[in-house]
Amino acid sequence: MIDWRAVVIREARATGAPDLDDHTVEELAAHLEDLYQAARTRGAGDDAARDDALRALRESRLAALTESRPHFHPTPGLTRVSAWQSLRSGLRQFRAHRGFAVLAVLVLGLGTGASAVVYTLVDGVILRPLPYGEPDRLVSLWDTNVQRAVTHEPLSPVNFMDDRALPVFTDAAAWWRPDVNLTDPGMDPVRVRAIETGANLFEVLRVRPQIGPGFPAGGPHFSGDLIAVISDRLWRARYDAKPGVIGRPLVFNGASYTIVGVMPPRFDFPGEIDVWQRSRWDFRQHSRAAHFMEAVARLAPGVGPEQASAALTTLAARLEKDFPSTNRAWGIRLVPLLDEQLGYYRPALIVLFGAVGLLMVISCLNVASLLLTRALSREREMAVRTALGASPWHLLAQLLAEGMVLSLAGGAVGLVAATIALPMIVAHTPVPIPRLAEAAINGRVLGFIFASATVTTLVFGLVPALATVRRTLTTDLKSGDRAVSRASRTLYHALVAGEVALAGALLVLSILLVRTVQQMTEVPTGVGKPAVMTASVQLSGRPNTDWAGVAADHGAILDRLREQAGVRRAGASNFLPLDAGWRGSFGIEGQPPARENEAPQAQHFSVTDGYFESIGARLVAGRFFTERDTATSTPVVVVNELFARRYLAGGQATQAVFTTHMTGVGPLGRNLATGGRFEIVGVVADVKNMPIAQANEPAVFFDARQFPFRAMFLTVEATDAPAAVAALREALRAVAPGIPLTDVQTWDQRFRARTAEPRMLMTVLLFFGGLAAILAALGVYGLFSWMVALRRRELAIRLTLGARPATIGILVLRHGALLAASGLAVGWILVRASERALSRVLFEVSAGDVAALATAGALLLAASLGACVPAAIRAMRVSPVEGLRAE
Amino acid sequence: MSPRTAIDEAKKGSAEILILALVERRSLHGYEIGRQIEDQSGGTLRFTLASLYATLYRMEDRGWLRSRWVEKPGQRRRCHYRITEAGRKVLAAQRADWSRFIAALGLVAGVKPA
Repeated sequence: MIDWRAVVIREARATGAPDLDDHTVEELAAHLEDLYQAARTRGAGDDAARDDALRALRESRLAALTESRPHFHPTPGLTRVSAWQSLRSGLRQFRAHRGFAVLAVLVLGLGTGASAVVYTLVDGVILRPLPYGEPDRLVSLWDTNVQRAVTHEPLSPVNFMDDRALPVFTDAAAWWRPDVNLTDPGMDPVRVRAIETGANLFEVLRVRPQIGPGFPAGGPHFSGDLIAVISDRLWRARYDAKPGVIGRPLVFNGASYTIVGVMPPRFDFPGEIDVWQRSRWDFRQHSRAAHFMEAVARLAPGVGPEQASAALTTLAARLEKDFPSTNRAWGIRLVPLLDEQLGYYRPALIVLFGAVGLLMVISCLNVASLLLTRALSREREMAVRTALGASPWHLLAQLLAEGMVLSLAGGAVGLVAATIALPMIVAHTPVPIPRLAEAAINGRVLGFIFASATVTTLVFGLVPALATVRRTLTTDLKSGDRAVSRASRTLYHALVAGEVALAGALLVLSILLVRTVQQMTEVPTGVGKPAVMTASVQLSGRPNTDWAGVAADHGAILDRLREQAGVRRAGASNFLPLDAGWRGSFGIEGQPPARENEAPQAQHFSVTDGYFESIGARLVAGRFFTERDTATSTPVVVVNELFARRYLAGGQATQAVFTTHMTGVGPLGRNLATGGRFEIVGVVADVKNMPIAQANEPAVFFDARQFPFRAMFLTVEATDAPAAVAALREALRAVAPGIPLTDVQTWDQRFRARTAEPRMLMTVLLFFGGLAAILAALGVYGLFSWMVALRRRELAIRLTLGARPATIGILVLRHGALLAASGLAVGWILVRASERALSRVLFEVSAGDVAALATAGALLLAASLGACVPAAIRAMRVSPVEGLRAE
Repeated sequence: MSPRTAIDEAKKGSAEILILALVERRSLHGYEIGRQIEDQSGGTLRFTLASLYATLYRMEDRGWLRSRWVEKPGQRRRCHYRITEAGRKVLAAQRADWSRFIAALGLVAGVKPA
């Protein structure tokens, strides 16, 4: 069976008539087949018959057919075929102009691919509901404090029990995050991420363990009968997914818990958790001043978030009145659980989605302008067709079909690119984006790609098509290429200006993020030695009453550490910089005692001697701790500069006496080895004790021997990182062989991790911004090349009349600069318009930042000017003679 | 001017009347039109593919012919041409012209209709 159509198409292309329309190809193919059949009927062999037909084709001048074919009359029964034919002729168009088609498809594929990836992330991370029963009824609860301008504080367990009793909630569950070591006979001990929670957590979330009964339904909220549930991840990694783990005792921090369930795969609420311990203590028997619990609540049926908020506000006001000493200025806020879990990523992904949308539009505009130039250069062809009777609809169908071919191909390329890129992105993301691992290309993503392909078809099929068709209807054959209508020219300008404007917006955006990261990095942390090695150690060997023993163990580890080769200084603290210490109220002796309810609050830290020195904190007055400060020596504290300025102003900071009220505060106060009076012996320059974006708080540092904690961060200043790590391992092995050393990182790494999220956003946006600038530059290049080609005659005449080439060049460049400037202005307006959405990902930089605008402007100007230089050079080289020669 | 060229020139002028005459009674597709012209002229008149279809398209464009795709089961679809009212008028006028022309040729150059 011979494919006669292919024969015709091949021959047409070979003889310089590549534009044969489908109708003609089909007719010629039928004709050839008839010739062939006739020859066979006459008795000719297959080859001879084929040669016969081919000879008839070859003796024809096919080019004669390209301009004579009137438009195709679709007859009712053939409409389907005609759409298909338009599509096929669209395909042929691009087969004949490969370079153009490849460029257009790549640009589109890039846009579609990038937006498909980002859409997949948005879909998987933001849009997909949480895997709990009726997840949109779940809210998380946070305390707020107007005096301290904080809105995201943990709750006090006692206050929480009052919140929980409100009728606006079906139920609520709260937890806190103890540090837990898991020890199994015959296995290395590990630190596991755990929460100790009210027994109703899983009921509130409406999830059940995959195996085991879980916490008894309707059972006690807390109990001395120790039970726990573990994650699927821990179950598989440590217990080989054996069902026998149910009912088995596991030892957490020396206490034996019975395992009553394994949660379903990927369940790790409230994030990265492997062990859920049922609370062993009564939430009511604690302090209203101790804020360390997190909570989730389920709204009662028919209750909206506003109604629940109002009820919480009323409750907070009542508690403030009833318990002024602890609840003054505290309020309660609820946040939809999904928003809470996504935190930074929700606004970041929305910004990213907006950015990739811009990129997509830019690539569409780019292809539209490419198609438009092609359409303009085919105006004559179109005019001929119209004169021969082609209807505007046929031309439109033809051009739309070409757009469709491009966008389908672009969509396909984008889909392939997204499929390849997505797993790599998920695997290599430097920050733990919640729910990222579950993001996958699904029906919705395919729908998105399909929808964007359709929209792009309409945009860049229709825009150039309409321009061309409208033009064709009002033009005649005589006018040459030079008479490109004003409307088409304006349209082309508008497309390119649009590209430049959107690229401007993206550039401004990416530079705002650069500035954000820069600002974050410049926030003073008070840590003078970023290379200091830090690691977390949790001593769990001793009973809860033996705090002196805990302090002695930490002391022994430090002594051992300091003996290791390469170690210069070592210390320990129960919190590292950027994290808040325990908050507690205090008094200063000699100052009029604050009214009972108004005692000031400060963060409480426990640090060892050598800690401040090892992290490079600066001493402002007095002294740091030394080995002479012990459990039995004079109780002493060091305060930070903010504390001294706020509470000891005008007096001698050191020698003042600090009294803590911490002794009465639950298990925390039991750690205090001494009474409640401490002499202030030193003032340390502020070490950041709040997240980067928040203001420092007054802080008081206790000596760890006088206020011991089990869990401490060791800090080691050594000759180099490997020496520090080796020393840490050796010291721990020697003193507490059963204790795991976890979270070993230099301070610099920790700090970078704290800024990893905006850094990642910055990197992606810079990438997008760069791409956008390149695409816009391509657009500008195309526009100017076209304009110069169009105006050769005018330029030649100008040169003939005495214009200097330099003037002509400057003319072109000025035009380019104007385009960049107007684009930048529009881009800036776009960024300002989205200020609200941006404010959540920016830090110490406003959307109207002048430096960002200037930088983006410079980049854009450079790109645009660079792109019109070739055109300018070509314009300057126009020979004056051309003006006379043409036509 | 060689005899071959004389016929070529004449063909150019006569193609339209030939085609109109063929499709006067029933609609034909391109191959049939070409075949019948060649057969009925004893091989004297032959069009290349391109000139045949270019002529057909031109005539359709002028409104003398109307084309229609016809699909039959098991066969390739073909575009059939039939004459329009305008085409009939042109055919009548051309027949009259050619009759006068051939008569004149006969009188002056001794050319007789075959």
